[in-house]
This record gives sequence, C-alpha cells and structure tokens, in this order.
Amino acid sequence: MRKRWIASIFCVLCLPLLAACSPKEPPPSAKKPSVEKLQIGLIPEQNLFRQMERYEPLGEYLSRKTGTKITFKVLPRYGNIIDNFKSSNMDGAFFGSFTYVLAHAKVGVEVLARPVALDNTSTYYGMIFVRKDSRIRTARDMKGKRFAFVDKATTAGYLLPLDYFQVHGIPDYKGFLKEAYFTGTHEDAIFDVLNRKADIGAAKNTVFQRLANDDPRILKELVILTRSPDVPENALALRKDIDASVRNRLKESLLTMHLDPGGRKVLERFGALKFIETTNQDYCVVRKYAEEIHLDLATYEYMNN
Amino acid sequence: MKRKIVIGLAIYSIVFLSAGVYVIRTIRNSTASLDRLITLHQVEILREHYLLEIKRVQSDLMLKDTEYSRAFDTFVTHVMGMGGLIETCFECHHSPRGVERLNGLKRQTDRYKDALSRVLTIRANTARLAAEKDTAFRIGEELIGEVGEMIAFTTSRLEENTQKAMSEIERTKYILYVLVALGPLVSVLLGFGFISGVTRPVKVLLESTRKLKGGDLDHRIAGLKDEFGEVAASFNEMAGSLKEQMQKMQRTEQMMVVGELAAGLAHEIKNPMAGIKVAMSVLSQEAYISPVDKEVLQKVVAEITQLEVLMKSFLNFAKPQKPRLESVNANQVLNTTLTFHLKHHVLGSGEGGKIQVIKELGELPSIQADPTQLQQVFLNLFLNALQAMPRGGDLGVRTCLEEDGKTIRIEVSDTGNGIREDLVGKVFQPFFTTKPKGTGLGLALSRQMIEQHDGAITVANRPGGGVMITILLPVKAEGAAA
Repeated sequence: MRKRWIASIFCVLCLPLLAACSPKEPPPSAKKPSVEKLQIGLIPEQNLFRQMERYEPLGEYLSRKTGTKITFKVLPRYGNIIDNFKSSNMDGAFFGSFTYVLAHAKVGVEVLARPVALDNTSTYYGMIFVRKDSRIRTARDMKGKRFAFVDKATTAGYLLPLDYFQVHGIPDYKGFLKEAYFTGTHEDAIFDVLNRKADIGAAKNTVFQRLANDDPRILKELVILTRSPDVPENALALRKDIDASVRNRLKESLLTMHLDPGGRKVLERFGALKFIETTNQDYCVVRKYAEEIHLDLATYEYMNN
Repeated sequence: MKRKIVIGLAIYSIVFLSAGVYVIRTIRNSTASLDRLITLHQVEILREHYLLEIKRVQSDLMLKDTEYSRAFDTFVTHVMGMGGLIETCFECHHSPRGVERLNGLKRQTDRYKDALSRVLTIRANTARLAAEKDTAFRIGEELIGEVGEMIAFTTSRLEENTQKAMSEIERTKYILYVLVALGPLVSVLLGFGFISGVTRPVKVLLESTRKLKGGDLDHRIAGLKDEFGEVAASFNEMAGSLKEQMQKMQRTEQMMVVGELAAGLAHEIKNPMAGIKVAMSVLSQEAYISPVDKEVLQKVVAEITQLEVLMKSFLNFAKPQKPRLESVNANQVLNTTLTFHLKHHVLGSGEGGKIQVIKELGELPSIQADPTQLQQVFLNLFLNALQAMPRGGDLGVRTCLEEDGKTIRIEVSDTGNGIREDLVGKVFQPFFTTKPKGTGLGLALSRQMIEQHDGAITVANRPGGGVMITILLPVKAEGAAA
C-alpha cells in the first residue's frame, strides 16, 4: 500500500514534466472533469440491488433538475469507493461517515448534503448486538465467539467494535474471537446474528430499525450491548475538481427538492424528509472517535482481509 | 305490395346484417384467439428469457473467484436485469392464481438476490464463503426449477390453446365458405320471390285488360292482394262502369230510335187525329145523333185527347226541351205545386181516404233551375205518390241543404205499398210502369229533366213501408251554365 502511495506521488510530481513533453495530449490521469454526466458511487449499506433500486429515482430526479446525467454505481465494499476515486472513475459518492472521513483524508472529496430521515434525524449510531438467548452480555463473554463486522471502513460496523474491544482491554480481537468476518452490509450483519450464523454483530441503528419494522423477530430476539456516538448519516460528496457550477446546481437541487412536489415524491420513496447542507465540520465527531481508537487516517488500511 | 317489399327488404337486410355481425364476431373471436396465442408466446418467451437470465446469473456465481470470473459490474447488471424481468411479468394481466404464483416467484427471486448480495459483499473464511455461495446457488437452482415448471405449464397451455385456436379458425373458415355460398343463393331466392310477386299480378292485369279489350265486360279480376288488389278493384269497377255506360249508350240509342220513331209517328198521327177529334166533336153536337151515340162520340174525343197527351209526352221525351235557368227557390216551387196544381187537380178529388201532406221544408239557398220543369217533376212525383195511396196516407215533403253547402236535398215519400225490390232499378226506364193506365214516361221524363240540371234522382223503399224519391240538385251561382 505504501509503495502504491509513493508511486502515486511520483506520478503527480512528474505530471508537469510529461505535460511539457507532449502538450497536445493530456496526461491519462488528469481526467477532465465531466459536466455532462456524473457517476456517483453507492456503498453497500443494504442489499446491493435494493440499494440501487432505492437510489435510481433520486438519480433520475437530479438529472432532470441539474441537466447533468447522474448515474449510480453500487460497489461491493466500502473501501472500493476510495479506490475508485483514486483511479478517477468516480465523480462522487454517498459516503458513510467513516468512509467520508477516510476519503476526505486520502483523496480530498468535499461533502455537499445528507438526508434527514423520516424520524427527523440526520445522524445514526453504531450498535453491538447479540441474541437474547446467547448469554453474551459483556466483552469477556465474547471470547471464542463469532463476530460479524460490516466493513473496515464503517463507523458502526467496525470502529464501534474496535473501540469496544479496546475499552474492555482486548487489543487484538482476532485472537480473542473464534471468527471475525465482514458481511459487507449492515443488513447481513443483523440477519447473521438473528439467524445464528454469527454470535455477535455490529451495524448502524437506522438499518436495524428499518429491518425491525418488517421483521418483529429483530427486536424480540436481539439485545443491544452498546452503541457509538451519533455520526452524520450517509452524505453526498464530490471530487474537488468537479466544476463549481455543477456542484452548486447539484447541491441546490438536493437542498430544495423537498419544496418541489416531484421532489417530495422522490424523497418519500427514498425514505427521507429532505436533504440538509453538510460540511466537513460535521465529521469532527468521527475523527475524534477514530483518534480515540488510535487510528491514523492517513495510513489506515481500510480494505477487508 | 309496398308493405311486402318493405318487409322483404327488412328481412333481406336483417339476414345480411346478421350474417355480417356473425362474420365480424367470428373473425373477432379468431383474432382474440390469435391474440391470446401471441400473448402466451410472449409469456413463454418472457419466461424463457427469465430462465436464461437466472442461468446466466448462476453461471456468474459459479465463475466467481475463478480466473473466468465476470466483472463485478457485469454481475450486478445481470442480477438487476433478472430482477427487472420478473417486474415485467406483473405488467401482463393474470388470474388471481397466476398473480399469487408470480408473487411467490418474486419472493424467491428476492431471496436469490439477497443471497447473491451476500456472496458479493461478504469477506470471511473459505468455509463461510463456500456456504454462502452454495446457499445462493441452491436458491438459484430452486428458482430455475420453479420457472421451468411455469414454462412447462405455459407450453402445455400454449399447445392446448393453439389447437383450440386452429380448430376455431378452421370452423370459421368453413362457416365463411358456407356464408359465401349461401349469400348469393339467398339473394337469388329473395329476388325470385320479389320478381314473381310483382310480375304475376301484372300478368293477371295484362290478361284481364286483353279480355276487356276483346269485349268481355263481365270479366272480373280476383285473387290479387295489396296494391295490386286495389288496382284489380279499380279495374273491376272500371269494367262495371264500362258495362253500365255501354248499356246506357245502347239504351240512349234505343231511346233515340224510339223517340225519332215516336216523333215521326206523332207528327204523322197528330194532324189526322186532330181532324178526327174535330170531326167527332162536331158530329157529337149534331141533333140527329142519339144521346147514346153522343156519349160514345164524347168518349172517342176523350180517348183522342188522352192520345194527344201521350203524343206530347213522347215528343217531350224524344226531344227534351233545354231548361231555361233562373234563380229559383225550390221550397217555393214545391209549395206552389202543392197549393195550386196538386190540390186543384188531385187532392180535391180524392177517391178514397184522406191524404195528409207533411212538410218539413228547411231553409234553402236559391238554385239555378227551370221552374216549369221542376214543377213538372214535382207534380209527377206527387201524382205517383197519391196513386200509390188509393186509400189515403201521408205525403211527405222534406228539403234541406246538404252539409257540404253545395247541394240541396228534396225528399218526396209516401206510405203506400212500395215497389218490389227487383223492380226498383227499373222505375226510371222509359215505358216501364206498374200502373194499368200509366205511360211509363213520368219518372223517365223526371230523371231526364233532373239530369239536365246536373242533379240526380233515386228511389228506395222506406223501412216502414212506402217509397221515398230523393232529388239532389247543385247550388250554382247565377249565370253558371247548366
């Protein structure tokens, strides 16, 4: 990973030289920001295909309003988004709170807006949960058990358990647990514990609540052991070099769509009341949380093993 | 005939309309069957397409994590395409059972997608990964089995519907052949019926006309109906009228001959008879003639006077005088005749019972008529009535203006024995009389004079006994020609 970083910096430094040598041909990595279309990445917060279905109406609405074709691309892992930004295939993404902090630190994306949920909240928190009948109630009870994380680039699905283990004096969870694996989605982490595929799970409360609305077993059979601080809900962030007018149109469309009847319908299907402006400052809580766990964001290895 | 033509055309139209409706309905049913077949084919194609999509996703799944593994985006696109197809199925119309089955299929597809999503996102040890992959594969195979069953079901239904539709089309074809053959036949039959319905009565009429032309005035048409029946009735009426006119002409010719003969005879007899009469009168006044002979001579003179009256009647009938028209009130003429002439000549010398005159004279307008001729007619009628009541009775005289205001009616009735029914039609014929001393010219002259006034005279027996003579005379403006 370090070698890749060095290679990247080397390439960036060499760019002016390459440009001078062949002025007529732009360097392959210096992709001209597209204003005709934007490709937005989606993290697998829930089932990949439902995630696509949830965001597609929003994409169509924003395309209509901004005059810029907006397409979504769902990714199998949270960390893939950062990789895609590095290879410049993606113009923006709906980031999870920790993913954004990582992407901001590594590739300098800028957040625009995030949704306000139907219960009028724009934040979420992480939870560690077990089955009620599992007799696991403390960190020590987790010894030799199976833990279902979500992804190394999630606050709820990884930072919270990491913090939990550190707070309870377990620096290396891998040796402590019988098995630790990454489900990739919050949904699967919840269902795995519910269906006894895992003993302990970590996921965000908003997904937990949404699933509980459809499946009463979740509240009946699972018990929450701890929770993380509130962090901003998944938000849209764009690459820094996106044209300012496109960025502003997109932001304006998002922030005013609840005032438009068509926009309200899309928001209703999306499961939100409106979008609110979000800035880098809103993520201080996540950075502070990462610091408490002693994570170096610049060097953090976010890809799952 | 008009009604028959209308009914015939209506039947013809209904038959053709029914045939047209039947043909359209049959074609529509066949088209609907074909539509159903096309829909079933589409459903079959859609389901086979869906099956292929599932198999492709299964293939993607099996190739995952191998050197032939498809790109993640391609995998996702294939799964999304598969999911989109099941949504397409709901756009078609299905029975509640079909919808239930589709819902089951959708739930199964969602399960499959959940399992695939897990396979694509999970990062775990090899055993867990293999288990997840196996779960997804198993669900996929179940889905393939389910869709395969549905395809088999659709295929069997398709075969069944195809056979049904083909047999229906075959049946439709035969029906159309039959209709194509029957249509002209029905037209020919209806046309034949229509033409014969028109030509047969025309032929009968033509034959009857020829017979009439050949002099068969007694020929009458029978058996025709409707408008042709009316034409036949008119024809028969015309034939009757023609016969009557012919008879009248013959009679007129006879009368002319008789009249000329009578006039000639009268002219030839009149002068000698006048000489005889004068001679007999002079002779009867001679002194040497005995009273007995005188009486005989006076009877001869009276008979000669009677013969002169008869000669005068002959002459009047043979050469009728043209009426001298003037404005006349018929009531006044009637009153005058009753008051002076009749009373003076007849009533006063009644032989038997008493004659009672009953007058009902309505208000009449003046008419253009010859008062002398009218008086003569009325006198004739009164005399006949009195002679019909030798033992007394009622002489009725009634006048009125007809409702149309253009004709006056004069009725003279008696309470005598009436006329035998078989003789009623002959009383106006000249020389016909039922009286021993009658000349048979009174009523004939009366009719002649009335007809010269453009009027009409009829006779009929009264229900209570006796005869009623009715005269109708037109009310004409002064100066109008008779």
